[in-house]
Amino acid sequence: MPSLFKNKKSKDNKKETEASLPKGQELLMQSLEGNIANIKKRTGNSSDMVIRYIKIGERAAIQAAVIYIDGIVDSQSIQELLVDTMMKDDVFSEPITPQNAFTLLKEDVVGIGDVAILHTWSEVFPALMSGDTLILIDGNNHAMSAGTKGGEWRSIQEPTTQLVVRGSKEGFTESIAKNMPMVRRIIKSPDLWVETMKIGKVTQTDVSMMYINGIANDKIVKEVKQRLNQINIDSILESGYVEQLIEDQTYTTFPTMYHTERPDIVAGNLLEGRIAIFVDGTPFVLIAPAVFIQFFQSPEDYYSRFDIATSIRFLRILIFFISLIAPATYVAITTFHQEMVPTKLLIAIAAQREDVPFPSLVEALIMEVTFEILREAGIRLPRAIGSAVSIVGALVIGQASVQAGIVSPAMVIVVAMTAIASFATPSFAIAISARLIRFVFMIAAATFGFYGIILCFLMMIVHLCSLRSFGVPYMTPLAPFIPSNSGDTIVRMPWWTLRQRPRLISSGNMVREGDDQQPMPPKSRGMANTTVKEGDQNDA
Amino acid sequence: MMRKGLLCTIMAFSICILSSCWSSKELTDLAIVAAMGIDKTKDGQYQITLQIINPGNVAGGLQGGGGGTQSPSVSVYGAKGANLVEASRRASSTVSRRLYYAHTNLIVIGESLARTEGIDVIIDAIDRDPEFRITSDMVIANGVKASSFVKSLTPIDKIPANKVLKTLELTEQKWGEHMKVSAQEVMKNLESPGSQALMSGFGIRGSAQKAQTLQNLQQTAPESTLRAEGLGMFKDGKLITFLYGKKARGVMWLRDKVQGTDVNISWKDKKKAIAYQVVRQRTNVRANMVNGKPKMIVRTRVEGDIGEIEVPVDIKNPFVILDIEKKIEAAIEKEIKESFMFAQKKQTDVVGFGEVVHENYPRQWKRLQHEWSDVYFPEVEMDVKVEAYVRRAGLRNKSFMSDAVKQRQ
Repeated sequence: MPSLFKNKKSKDNKKETEASLPKGQELLMQSLEGNIANIKKRTGNSSDMVIRYIKIGERAAIQAAVIYIDGIVDSQSIQELLVDTMMKDDVFSEPITPQNAFTLLKEDVVGIGDVAILHTWSEVFPALMSGDTLILIDGNNHAMSAGTKGGEWRSIQEPTTQLVVRGSKEGFTESIAKNMPMVRRIIKSPDLWVETMKIGKVTQTDVSMMYINGIANDKIVKEVKQRLNQINIDSILESGYVEQLIEDQTYTTFPTMYHTERPDIVAGNLLEGRIAIFVDGTPFVLIAPAVFIQFFQSPEDYYSRFDIATSIRFLRILIFFISLIAPATYVAITTFHQEMVPTKLLIAIAAQREDVPFPSLVEALIMEVTFEILREAGIRLPRAIGSAVSIVGALVIGQASVQAGIVSPAMVIVVAMTAIASFATPSFAIAISARLIRFVFMIAAATFGFYGIILCFLMMIVHLCSLRSFGVPYMTPLAPFIPSNSGDTIVRMPWWTLRQRPRLISSGNMVREGDDQQPMPPKSRGMANTTVKEGDQNDA
Repeated sequence: MMRKGLLCTIMAFSICILSSCWSSKELTDLAIVAAMGIDKTKDGQYQITLQIINPGNVAGGLQGGGGGTQSPSVSVYGAKGANLVEASRRASSTVSRRLYYAHTNLIVIGESLARTEGIDVIIDAIDRDPEFRITSDMVIANGVKASSFVKSLTPIDKIPANKVLKTLELTEQKWGEHMKVSAQEVMKNLESPGSQALMSGFGIRGSAQKAQTLQNLQQTAPESTLRAEGLGMFKDGKLITFLYGKKARGVMWLRDKVQGTDVNISWKDKKKAIAYQVVRQRTNVRANMVNGKPKMIVRTRVEGDIGEIEVPVDIKNPFVILDIEKKIEAAIEKEIKESFMFAQKKQTDVVGFGEVVHENYPRQWKRLQHEWSDVYFPEVEMDVKVEAYVRRAGLRNKSFMSDAVKQRQ
């Protein structure tokens, strides 16, 4: 910006051009009234725009205007650092004329950090609309913008989706200006690089990509940048827009980008060489590239000790399989493989199914769909009636349908277990993909039994192996198998063994810790407070 | 190229469907057969009797209605046929559902069928059927027709087939006079010339008619119950006779099948004064060729506890314990010898000595095997040695009676 300013300053005032077409490279006019009229015309004289006329200079000789949009600016700083100081007569070090007004204002008066001189309408409007304050001076065909972005945002709160028992409790908010510092506060390194661009022709949304230079793979950084630059859409309302426009594969139920509400997850992923994409207006930050196993990892895995983390990860994989194939297995068992059930269990199931009028696939579908309806309704309903739905749901699903003989109690158990399992998966994105595939599995189970389930499963595995996320195979480090990274997959080995960053994702600087990090107890087995001399009996 | 691709796709999809065995069957369309009884009718046909589970009456769930007291937990259907498959197919004229044999755990064979025709003819159907499990257990209806046995209802275990199996399992573990034999084991014994089949007998105590009624179950002491009775001895697939009591147990010792039992010995002049509970045992049978004739060497090692002492015995004294052990050894030895002699008399090698000879002298066995049960087995000599150990004596050592008796004297 400064170079731009210098450039403009050296040139003489250009001839006034017709301002009737306020598009493109149209320049501002000399006349204040003309400029204001143009702004009003362009913005439809919107009622939330504030235009304040002031007079500056000795004897208040120069007519000026301060223009901003109410609500998205920090009115206090406009008042104190802009208007108040400008209106004082004795602040200028030399006599002020319209020509040198901006230079003087910038150097002497305005106490706001981010100040720029604008000279075309195409610069003026984005600045105005994103919360900057414009200063126009009669007789000068430039405008000055002062960075006064502000207004009310939701304060930092605990994230609502990825809760942890141990770990940071802060979550992202809707403001990109608040979100990025949260990560900066965690990673205090000059190598944490940020690039911001405006995407969305109408919304002009700020989209920033953040990565750690030297850890992130340059090729992936370039790829992400290129894909972001290719986006040509009128609006970006949430990071989901960006995700769907830049992901590798649309026709898959599996997410190939990770999204999170937690700064510590973003920081952890940046340190593994991934790239975070912040989008203004949403607390969900995208992380790319994502691999399958990542969706089963919770930040708490790294905070708690490895044995617990590992067993919980095993549990999560089990949960994923339950939510995927539990109803399908029930259908397969009751329609094909009755011989595989112990006799007593079979009799118990048969007794329950005796009066059920539907084949078990229909029964399973009814229950699954009912549950999906309840879940969907539970999200949409106002909080006040939410409990009513859960009561009705519990009665309808749990009791009445069983007593009416529409479904069997065993089916209710299976569906309930599936439902709970689908909520226990740490990433919602992978849980909903399982939710969808579950129905495919059920239909396969109803047509081919276990054989169908295995068939579907094989197809799913093949599909998973074929996926890529920004060029990184989705199943790494399992397939292709990378031994040095396999300590952090379905198991989480002790931290001192996880020496290397994920290969394929990061590049260069692969080693993240020293090679002798295994904690060693002191050789002496003496108590902490006793001094043990060498040669003592206790000395190991 | 397009056509080739299409062909490949079709072929790939066909693989999924061509593998067969995928006919679905709803649970509500299945008649789960718990037990099958096989009899021979007078006109030479097979009569099968199928014990079909009424799931609603067993599980007593919400829809069940009555929890099994108003209506029986099983329903029994029967059908006749020239062979088992025909009979089973014909049964569809009376049963509303597809007969499902995958959970048939019990096959009951009528005594007369086992005696006259033998079991080898019927076992093929069981072996060949993909649904039937060859791990199903087989028993002989002792003294009754298989059909009336299968029709009997039992208390506690609502499914009679389960009651039979659980009883067999328990008595095999605790009493050692019966043996749970699966169809597979029967087949193995049938095809081996060096071993004859054994099968537990099961009978109805009380009236067979009464056993079929629910009224029978509504008494604390049902008039008719099913109980394990005898160990059927087979020769070439035909039932010869039933062994009872110690004779049955002697065979079980020789077969190394005793898991636990109770041996009583006399002490001083009191008969059966000390009860010895066998905890584990191991019987080793070897064959020795003496002058071209096999001689069997049986070594039994028994470990157990003293369970009861009815006379004052100072079991703190190790010599007394040795004495007790000697008596136990003698008692077991006697049992073994008696059963062996009985088997020799009946000329059927139910103890499986032929197999042992086969293992130890495979070349000589070729000569012996054809006439093993008729010629060689009845003349085989046996050398038995039992080693018994008293490991524990329960929670007491000296009996509380020993003082009381002393005072009385």
